[in-house]
Amino acid sequence: MTEYAIDIVNITKRFAGHTAVRDLTLRVPTGSVYGLLGPNGAGKTTTIRMILNIIAPDSGMIHIFGRPSNDPKITERLGYLPEERGLYRKMQVRRVLKFLAELKGVRGSDADRRIDEWLERLSLKTPEKDWGLAKIDELSRGMQQKVQFIGTLLHDPDLVILDEPFSGLDPINAQALKDTVVELKHRGKTVIFSTHLMDNAERLCDSVCIIAQGEKVLDGTVTDVREEHGQRNIALALEGDGMAGVASILRDHSLVKRADDSNRFFEIELAPGADPQALLKRIVESGASVQRFEMIQPSLHQIFLQKVGARGVEERMSGHG
Amino acid sequence: MAKLWAIIKREYLERVRSKWFLIATFFGPIFFSAIIIVPAWLASKSKATSDVYNTTILDATGTGFGHRLAVNIAGDSTIPGRMPTVKVVAPSELTMAESLATHEVMRKQKTGYVVVNQQTLAGESARYAGTNATSIADMAQIKSAIRQTILASRLEKVGLDNEKMKEITFIPLDFSTERITERGRAGSGMASVLFGFAIGFLLYLSIVVYGQTIMSGVLEEKTTRVAEVVMSSVPTDTLLVGKVLGVGAVGLTQQILWIGTTYVLLKLRAPIMAKLGAPAVTFSLPDISLAAGILFLLFFLLGFIFYSSLYAAVGSSVNSESEARQAASPLMIMIVSTGVFIQPVLLNPTGTTAKVLSLVPISSPIIMPIRMAVTGVPPLELAGSLAFLAIGCVLALWLASRIYRVGLLMYGKRPTMKEMARWVSYAR
Repeated sequence: MTEYAIDIVNITKRFAGHTAVRDLTLRVPTGSVYGLLGPNGAGKTTTIRMILNIIAPDSGMIHIFGRPSNDPKITERLGYLPEERGLYRKMQVRRVLKFLAELKGVRGSDADRRIDEWLERLSLKTPEKDWGLAKIDELSRGMQQKVQFIGTLLHDPDLVILDEPFSGLDPINAQALKDTVVELKHRGKTVIFSTHLMDNAERLCDSVCIIAQGEKVLDGTVTDVREEHGQRNIALALEGDGMAGVASILRDHSLVKRADDSNRFFEIELAPGADPQALLKRIVESGASVQRFEMIQPSLHQIFLQKVGARGVEERMSGHG
Repeated sequence: MAKLWAIIKREYLERVRSKWFLIATFFGPIFFSAIIIVPAWLASKSKATSDVYNTTILDATGTGFGHRLAVNIAGDSTIPGRMPTVKVVAPSELTMAESLATHEVMRKQKTGYVVVNQQTLAGESARYAGTNATSIADMAQIKSAIRQTILASRLEKVGLDNEKMKEITFIPLDFSTERITERGRAGSGMASVLFGFAIGFLLYLSIVVYGQTIMSGVLEEKTTRVAEVVMSSVPTDTLLVGKVLGVGAVGLTQQILWIGTTYVLLKLRAPIMAKLGAPAVTFSLPDISLAAGILFLLFFLLGFIFYSSLYAAVGSSVNSESEARQAASPLMIMIVSTGVFIQPVLLNPTGTTAKVLSLVPISSPIIMPIRMAVTGVPPLELAGSLAFLAIGCVLALWLASRIYRVGLLMYGKRPTMKEMARWVSYAR
């Protein structure tokens, strides 16, 4: 088995008028859960489409499991869930799934057996009701999402690519998806997904890559990324009154570089050379009641805001990723 | 190849299973045999009606001319009620008699009346007035009966006996028409034109209907993002070709079913006509060889590929049905302007217009089969037409695949012509 499920070297993709992806290099270790993070319009979907060989990069190389991404044999090892979802509305569920399976080289009774297994597993087929015989548009939205998962995973792909998988999912399906991702990892599969929801990424991913405006901002394992960004963060939780005093302390740039204010909870990045003890002392002196004051590793959310800041978020909100 | 097959299979089976397909396939033959049976039925109607028997003959000749005319109008005097009424009147009473007869017609007791007098005996004039005065067939029957009666009375004057006279004047002429082409006699002219029209109309309709079917199919895949899933498994060209062939096969199935059942219905035409109460008309089907039949289907398939690949390109470039209708209007114009030429080509299938239109791929899939149906087309012209159409198909597919693979991934605003032209130049 090759070390990297995905090995992208210096790819660039230009569309009329703008560069969607610029000189991106990215390696996804086999068997890992990998997060592709970035604001809307950062180039996530374009990158995913190039990995899937739906579009070709203008320059650079993409290898999947050590083979060029345009190798037709490779597509059968990939499973893809696009960002916005839908299926042939007038088609019967089983027939849709069978069609998707055939496109991935799974045929005949093998496909039928897998479809049954999956339908039963996601409770779309029970002794009372077999939704497999219904048409897609007779299904609820949640059930349609399940059918789409099945379509993505039916051929037991080695590399699963999910574009914004959590958008539009109800909490139950979101949990089912998380469970599925964990299970895939346990079975040695590689999962790469794009998201702008940092909490999910932080909990699920082994490694991440943050891109903005088509360029890589940083990448690495979640542990490395957080360590690199040092023990310079403080989690502060307050009780009762005294916010006003604290707010003015947090604006003191000799102590605090930036603070993420969630009303009662603050994630504070210290100014270079500032002493956390001095900060604690000032806060206590201001009369605020401190519930928690802890040196922490920065969250991905913090790192994301710090690295991407305002620059990538505002521009190119086209939704083309 | 297996994946192309999966796409063709899905397109084919999903459409053949649809209610729409069943309905269209069932009503098609009924419609087409109606096209052929109704004109034949109307043609049988163009014989004189029984109205001619319900007339009055005002005979002012004083020679018994009216009675003989009545026999000639009735044709067969043995059927009761077929004889027109004869009123012998003096020339001076004619005006009075005419106004009485007019009242009878107005009260719907009679259909009309014929006035015969000395001028009629001289072969100069006769008059008819009635509700059916505009019926060409009725008038022709009465007119010929008058001529026949005049002829008979003249023959009588020169001393011919009754039997001889009947023998001479009896002319039951059946005037049938047949068309001659460069290849020889080609059956009934009327039948050929009808057949040519049916073929042209069928092709025209199929191309429009199936072109739009492909367009909305592509649009559905785009808006539901199924296209992206499929494109991650197969190259876009395979998807496009699979769709075109799959839907094309549906069209072909339908045509074969239509042609087959229409053929059977036509074989059963005589019994059907008899049930309708129309006498069987001698009506020979145009002699279509198997080779010609295959050529028709080939033209359909190529014409379909030409137009449907362009329709697919349009479907990929838009985001909604209403946008699609607008964006497809250039294609509609191409097809409709061809449709406008169906009739001129039927009337003059060997003219320059027909020849040029049967070479241009935009119109040849409709025009050439029409020409083949109504006239002999030289093999060289046929080969040229097929060759140009095949080249047209390759170009259309090439152009469509380039627009298709970019368009499917582009959401948001509808592209301008200029932008689409730029897509064509994109690498991938």
